[in-house]
Amino acid sequence: MRMVFGKALVATAALAIATTALTTADAHGPTRRKVQEHVEINAAPAKVWAVMGNFQDMSWLGIVDKTAGDKGNEIGATRKLTLKGGATVDEELYKYDAEKMSYSYRITAVDVKVLPVTNYSSTIAVTPSADGKGSVVEWTGAFYRGFPNNDPPPELSDEAAVNAVTGLYKDGLEGLKKKVESGS
Amino acid sequence: MHDVPSRLHRRARRLILGVLGALLFGTIPSHAEEAFVTNQLSDDLTIVDLATSKPVATIPIGGKPAGVAVAADGRFAYVASPDDKAVSVIDAVARKVVGRVEVGGGPLGIAVAPDGATVYVADWYNAAIRIIDAKTLKVAGSIAVGASPSGLALTPDGKLLLSADRDDDMVSVIDPATRQRLKTVKVGTRPFGVTIDAEGKRAYTANVGSNDVSVIDLAEGREIGRIKTGLRPYAVALAQGRGFVTDQYDGTVSVFDVASLQPLKRITVGDYPEGIEATADGQRIIVANWESNILSVIDVAALKVTAEIKVGNGPRAFGAFLRR
Repeated sequence: MRMVFGKALVATAALAIATTALTTADAHGPTRRKVQEHVEINAAPAKVWAVMGNFQDMSWLGIVDKTAGDKGNEIGATRKLTLKGGATVDEELYKYDAEKMSYSYRITAVDVKVLPVTNYSSTIAVTPSADGKGSVVEWTGAFYRGFPNNDPPPELSDEAAVNAVTGLYKDGLEGLKKKVESGS
Repeated sequence: MHDVPSRLHRRARRLILGVLGALLFGTIPSHAEEAFVTNQLSDDLTIVDLATSKPVATIPIGGKPAGVAVAADGRFAYVASPDDKAVSVIDAVARKVVGRVEVGGGPLGIAVAPDGATVYVADWYNAAIRIIDAKTLKVAGSIAVGASPSGLALTPDGKLLLSADRDDDMVSVIDPATRQRLKTVKVGTRPFGVTIDAEGKRAYTANVGSNDVSVIDLAEGREIGRIKTGLRPYAVALAQGRGFVTDQYDGTVSVFDVASLQPLKRITVGDYPEGIEATADGQRIIVANWESNILSVIDVAALKVTAEIKVGNGPRAFGAFLRR
């Protein structure tokens, strides 16, 4: 999470350019990137899903201070995550399958200073672990870098985007594991 | 009565000579149909034999390849790498890179003229199409189009070139002979892939922003219909009077009827389906699934997935990626 917040300190010149370019609706770079992270949790999938399966509750993600939204877990439901420090992320649910214990959402609004990505979509799902004793939570993301044009500055490059999302998922999954296993 | 057998005989002889001639002059393809799949994240190209459903070669490309176009005669394939600002030329028989053209900007969508003499590349960043002479492999000119040109397609007679100008919500219609834009056609929100039918009469754009397909009548130069699809449609393929659309966010292919323009079915494929094209006989649809790293093969008659083939990481196969 520190990693994500570190982006807030990024120099302003390049960001000014990025913000201008972003006025074109959903413009993005040429390469969509993917990140896949997973964690094994010593608890049954249903128990994990009980913690993470509510789209309106992201309290298991350490960086999130508050979740507020509409329409629960319906397709098209929205949520606004307020992060510690005050930045916000707007998200929308586009797939929800309680039976498969999986949901998919996309970011509808985020400052690239908070998370250096555009056109971000993500799926989080829990399945039984191979030995059948616990669970595996997998979090996958698909997104473009924060800079929509050619020759991005380093802080808005493909690598910066991948690093930020990887850091977010690793921290988030560790947090989820801790929360479920401690029973809190 | 006497004439009948001899006439039949003559006909049979003509047929045999015709087939021999076709074999000699190469009008009957001597190769199995193949897919040329750009794997954007593994920076390479997988060639898949569609008769055996097996990958037969992996060719390193670099520069995050996305757009691909196989020439109609199957001799060469052209691959656009936006991060390298270059187009790679692949000898489809030798299965190796034989040339590279520095085009600048952000080359993405790519198409080859039916006669194979010219290659057109959309510059995603600079609202232009670059014209490459396929003989000299030099940039021979440029055509100004709308913002973020993505998909390109030519009519089968090579007389019209279409560019889906994504961030202007329109299609540019270009005369390749004069390199002049003839007109623009307003379509749905953020058209990405564009496909022209075998008769050269209609074009179909997949509109990422409005979750539908626009149908363009090319003679009239206007949009004549709209078909609802799944979320974030990427591109359209046509076979046996049906349209097939990859829905990136839904992991489905939406099928519609070309005559009635009504949706027929949604077929579940891999995650983030993108590039899509029909085989030459129109019996199968080949889909590249970006997230799952597989091709899905759809049987057109049954409207079912009949095979999955593993390819590289992040397959996009954006363009005419089948060597048919």
